[in-house]
This record gives sequence, C-alpha cells and structure tokens, in this order.
Amino acid sequence: MLALQDPMARKDEAGEVIALADNIRIQNDVRHSDRRGERLPVIIRAEKFSLYYGAKAGVKDIGMDICARSVTAIIGPSGCGKSTFLRSINRMNDLIPDTRAEGMLNVNGVNVYDRRVNLVNLRQQVGMVFQKPNPFPKSIYDNVAYGPRLQGIRGVALDELVESRLRDAVLWEEVKDSLGKSALALSGGQQQRLCIARSLATKPTVLLMDEPCSALDPIATAKIEELIVGLKHAYTIVIVTHNMQQAARVSDRTAFFCLGKMIEYDDTRAIFTKPSKKQTEFYITGRFG
Amino acid sequence: MNVPLRQSADKVFTALALLSVVLVAAALVGILLPMMWRGGSAVVFRGTVEFRRMQLEQFNRGDSAAVRAEVEEAAKIRQRAFEILDGFAAGLDTSELETKVKQLHREFGVQIANRDIPQAQATELRKLSKELRDGLLSALEAGSKDQALSHLDEVLSHAGDGRLKGTLASTYFDLARKYHNTLTTVDLNRRGEYAESLKQVMEAMKNLFGPPSGERLPAVTMEQYGATRWDQATQHLDRLLWAETWAGSGEGRTLAKSRVPREEQFAGTELAELFPYVRNNIQAMLRPQWTFYWRYFTDDSMSGHYFGGVGPEVLGTLLVTVLAIAFALPVGVVAAAYLVECARDSLATRVLRMCVNTLAGVPSIVFGLFGLAFFVIYLLPKLGLREGSSILAGALTLALLVLPVIIRASEEAIRTVPRAYKEASMALGASRFRCFVTVTLPAAAPGILTGLILSMSRAAGETAPILFTAAVAMGPVPTSLSQPTRTLSYSSYDMAVGDKMAMLAPHNQFGMVMTLVAIVLLLNIVAIMLRGRMSKKLRGQ
Repeated sequence: MLALQDPMARKDEAGEVIALADNIRIQNDVRHSDRRGERLPVIIRAEKFSLYYGAKAGVKDIGMDICARSVTAIIGPSGCGKSTFLRSINRMNDLIPDTRAEGMLNVNGVNVYDRRVNLVNLRQQVGMVFQKPNPFPKSIYDNVAYGPRLQGIRGVALDELVESRLRDAVLWEEVKDSLGKSALALSGGQQQRLCIARSLATKPTVLLMDEPCSALDPIATAKIEELIVGLKHAYTIVIVTHNMQQAARVSDRTAFFCLGKMIEYDDTRAIFTKPSKKQTEFYITGRFG
Repeated sequence: MNVPLRQSADKVFTALALLSVVLVAAALVGILLPMMWRGGSAVVFRGTVEFRRMQLEQFNRGDSAAVRAEVEEAAKIRQRAFEILDGFAAGLDTSELETKVKQLHREFGVQIANRDIPQAQATELRKLSKELRDGLLSALEAGSKDQALSHLDEVLSHAGDGRLKGTLASTYFDLARKYHNTLTTVDLNRRGEYAESLKQVMEAMKNLFGPPSGERLPAVTMEQYGATRWDQATQHLDRLLWAETWAGSGEGRTLAKSRVPREEQFAGTELAELFPYVRNNIQAMLRPQWTFYWRYFTDDSMSGHYFGGVGPEVLGTLLVTVLAIAFALPVGVVAAAYLVECARDSLATRVLRMCVNTLAGVPSIVFGLFGLAFFVIYLLPKLGLREGSSILAGALTLALLVLPVIIRASEEAIRTVPRAYKEASMALGASRFRCFVTVTLPAAAPGILTGLILSMSRAAGETAPILFTAAVAMGPVPTSLSQPTRTLSYSSYDMAVGDKMAMLAPHNQFGMVMTLVAIVLLLNIVAIMLRGRMSKKLRGQ
C-alpha cells in the first residue's frame, strides 16, 4: 500500500484515497527524481490514452508518468490537446457531450475512466484551478467552504479549514478581516489565489492548473508562481501553460504536446537546454508555434 | 461607410432611441396618471355628513355623539327645504289633502264626543264640520280654478263663526287658505307638467339628502342615505336646479338638449323659493369635509359596491395570484432545469419546447374553459372537494397560464449562468444536483425573478381564466381555499357590464382598477428590489 503511504499524504487524506475506488494497485516503480535527487513515486500514469470529441481526437496515445510532490508542466501550441489531457485527469471533459476515452489513465492506480469510479471522490482528490479566476458570487468564506461543505464539514472544523487553506494560498493576511465580503470584490490575482485555496479545501492530492496566470498581470503571476513552488511539497501539481519561462521557473518536469500527441517529456532543465526532438527545439526557440 | 455618414447615422439612432423612450414614458404617464387620479378619488374625497352617518351606522366608526350632533344641525337646515317641497306637493297632489280632510272630520267628531256639551250643540257642530269637509272636498275635486275658489270662499266664510272657536275646525281653514294660495299661484292647467318636473325634483332631493326624517327607512342600504360624496352631491344638485329637456328643432334633425333652470320653471309658485334656498345652503345641509378613506382597501362593500371598499377583492386577488405563483414557480423552474441541464437535443425535447412556446400564446379564455372542465368539474371533486368554482381551481388555472412564461424565463436564466461557475462547482466534487442547487440556481435567480414579475402581473390582472373557476361578483369573504372569491379584475369587469352601478359609483370602478394596478406595482416593486439585491450580490457589491 505504498501509494497510500505517499509521503505527501497527510493522515486524514489517506482515508479518502481508499474511497476513490476499491481496486488500488500498488505502484512502486519509482523512477523519477526531482532536482534534489529525491526518489518520488508515480501518482498519475497514462498509457496509450486517447480522448475523442465525437470522431475527432483531442489527444492521442499519450503515455506519461507524473510524480507525486512535484510540479509537472505541459507546454505546447494552442489546440495541441494539453488542456484536454489535463481535464481528462479529473474527468471535467465529461461536461462536454460526446466525449470518449480510450487507453488507460491511472490516478493512484485507479483508471479514472473506469465506470465504477465515483466522480465526486475523484474530483475531491484531484482539484482544479481554471484559466480565468472563477470564484462563486458568494463571500470569500463561502467560496473556500464550498468543497468541505459538500463533504459535510461544519462548524469550528470548517472555520479552521478555511483559515488554513487561505494561509496555504498566502491570502489569509489580505482577507482575514473581510471573509464575509463578496469574492468578486477581490483583485484578479487575489481571486485566483482564492480559487487555489478553494481547490485545496477539499484536501486533494493532485492539483491541476489550466493556465492559471494567463489572465493576470506579472506581479500577480509572480505571487501565484511562488505559491505553486511552495505548494509542491504537499501536493502533486500539473500545470498547463503558454508561458515557457513560467514552465522553466516552476516545474520539475515538462511535457511538450503538439497536435494531440506528446512529443517529448523530460526533466525541465533537459527540455529547455538540450531537447532531444527537433520539434521541441523549434517551439522553445520560437521558430514554430 | 465614410466617417461623417457613420456619425450622422449614429446620431439618428440615438435620437430614435430617445424618442421611443420618451414615447413609452409618455404613454405610461398618460395612461397611469389619469387612472390613478380618478381611482384616488375613491380614497380621498370630500365626504358629506351622510358619509359619516353611513360609516357610523353601517361600520360603527366615528364619534357617535359628534356625528349625531352634525346630523341634527344639518337636519335643521334641511327641514325648511322639505317643508317647501311638501307644501307644494300637497297642493299639487290633492289626493293627500283629501285624506287629510276626511281624517280631520273624524278627529273632529271624536273631539266633540269627548267634550261635555249638550247633545243638540254637538249635532250642530258635527253638521257644520261635515259642511266644511264637503266644501273643501268639492273645492279639491273642482275642474276649474274659479269653481274651486268659490267653494273655498264658502268654507272660509265660516272662519269667523264663534261656535267653532277652540275646536279642530281651525285646521280646516288653514288647509283652505293654503289651497287657496296654491290655486292663486299655480296654473292648474300646467299641473301635468309640474307633476313631471316635481317627480325629478323629489328624486334629486332624495338623492341629495336621503329619505326625509320620520319616514320609514327603505330596506335597501343604498337608499337610506343621501349623497355621501361631494362630487355626487354636485351632480344631484345640478339635476335639482336644472331641468333638462330634449327638443327636436325640426323633422329629421337630431334632438337638442336644452337646460332650463327649475326656478324659472316653477316661477310664481311657492316651490320656486326651494331652489335658491338649497343652492345657498347646500354646504350647511351636507357639510362636506375632506376625507381620507384608507379603509377603502380593507372594507367590505355594500349594496353592490355602492358603499364600502374593496377589501374582499384585494384579499381574493392576492390569494389567487400568490397561490398560482406558488404552484407555477417550482414546477416551472424544475421544468426549465430539466430542459437545460438534463434533456438532450432530441426530437422529443424540441417538441416539448415548441409546446411550451405555443402554450404561452394560447388565449386566456381557453385556459379558463380548460380549468372549468378539468379542475372544477373533474379533478377537485375527485379529490373530495366541493364541486364548483374555488380559489384552488382558479389558482391552478392561473398557474397553467403563467407556467410557459416562467419556464421560458427560467430556461433563459439558467442557460446564461457562466459555465465557469458550474465547472468550478463540479471540479470541487459537487454532484449535478448539488451544483444546480448551490451555484446555478442562485446565479439564475434574478432572471427567474424577471419571469416571476411578468407572470405575477399577468395572473393578478387576468379575468378570463378565473371567470368560471374562481370568481364571483358578490358573496361572502372566503374562509377556505375551496370557496369562490371576489377578485379585483372580475369585479371591475362585473361592474362594467352589470347594471347601472358603474354609472352610480364610477369612483368605485376607478378605485378597483387603481387598486389592481397598485397591487401589481407593489408586487413588482418588491420583486424588483429583491432582484436588485440578488444581482448586486452576484456582481460582488
């Protein structure tokens, strides 16, 4: 049960991992290392994974392992399928009618496209932050409390959770006196940090970020990036970005997608210094894409 | 397009838009203000002493002693007018005099019998009385003025008779002198004309001041009082002071109305002084005062909306409307949620949508007849409720009527909720139901409220759907939902098509319409304020 004793998993999170599904396979092929040379377990594994919108393939034959407690960036030109792949991990693509998945996409050893998967559990464990800050038109408190309330957390426990998650998202000091104020009154950068706090409040193990800074100014972007780096010690983060400097700054490993296929996947330093594929080099150097 | 052209086109469009806004505002003001003004007269008006008496006697309101004193005061001044009228009417209508004379003779006999006088003297007196009686009667029956006068002179010649001193006989001479006076001033040949006009005068007097005191009260409440409102009084006064005649100015021409002052019509008679007297003392006789009758909105009506207010109508309208919305809103929102969130774009849903749209255009009378056939006759009796129109049946029918509007508005509102909200909610692990209830519905609420406002106004104002299902023109205030009720819309319709009540109490009809508009406005303002607060919250202010 190594996956359950994942170093980043806190005690209370272990119980929820079980709830994802009943047939958890042990994944102990620890292959990747982060920059500090630490060995990390694989938490997301895609094998020959394809997702179709009707007859058209969004992504095709993706095979990639994502390590726990690290930041994995996905870069690539527009329409290359990086968002599609990201949204497959917590099955947000289900909201689009006529989508169909093939192959295998495991999170914690469970194929998320398995019929038996409980979507509510999956999405509680795999949080998501969207491109545009999308807080609910509710108060700051209610925004963060939304997820926990779905899980039935109430009262003092909820207050503590909200505070700790706002602290995690480095927003607490700014909003602690105005928790009852509408979230829409915050600035864009604050809203995005609030959305991150909201995602963290369901106690996920994985955090998916879909271009989280594309609607923000450089100062807010810097704060979010700082936050991402800070969060990776506790969470697995997968980030899609258009900004290659950002990918280089925050990620440990980077995948390059093009036209629905994964072209190259390696340590970030390797990708940005000596990419093995011509396509990747062209993209990174700006000659294409 | 070049720039100057584009700029001028821009200006034209701006001007057109402004114009349409001004037109709409003008129409609103042009329609609403006069209606409000005239309807307001049902609540704020100059009430007369009759109004206060009516309020005291019928509704037990007001300071009893003060009103009584006021009535006394007015009656004192009215007294003279009634005396003039009675005197003249008595002279004109001899039958009354005749009975009086015959009665007098009988009383005279009784008086004589009770007196302690010798038999022979008594017989003589009785004979004399009989003579006087017959003389008066023949004067009353006389065909010509001269004949009548000679009879009267004969009677009056006995006036100096010492034997009659201290008896009732003096009354004979009073009557004779009075009739003599009438005969010398009134042209007996114009008696028919006078009688016609006098009838109108008496009618006007009764309308103004009610039945003269001492007479038996009429059974109908409406006839127990004179003019309760000053505007009414001025109309009756006009009818009292002016005679209207229609005369043709020639063959094939339309009749022309001509107004003759009654003072002129009755010139020379003793009635002539009635008109200046009433005209000069009308204020003192009716004592008009500005009255704010706010209880108009809560009072029950009397004599078919002649007196009283629209309380039961207001209650009925509110009940039926609110109940209809209570039925239609949940069903409508759930239906809209299904159409947007669950239904796929299949033939069935397209047909369903078309049905909803068609239903919104069906004439309301069709709903009314359906409600009669389905709710009133079939469904409610089957559920063990009383057969016949009821608030419940009316509310259900109205709910059907407004359902399409609510569904369409809600559908649109739910559809326009940003996807980002739903995605955020789903990504946090909310089920589709939880997502709808906690995120989509609150965000769609302002739009849903817009549909609600539209349908509420419609439900409150509709007449046809409740015509056969819920409404009655008269009847007790309902105590349960299975009883029919009065409503503002139906009662104003009933007043308009009914008997002369709309003419007798126009202020009441305007009052009803004003109340209806006020209720709709009030409900709308509440809903709009609610919507404003919601959308403010949604915008994050």
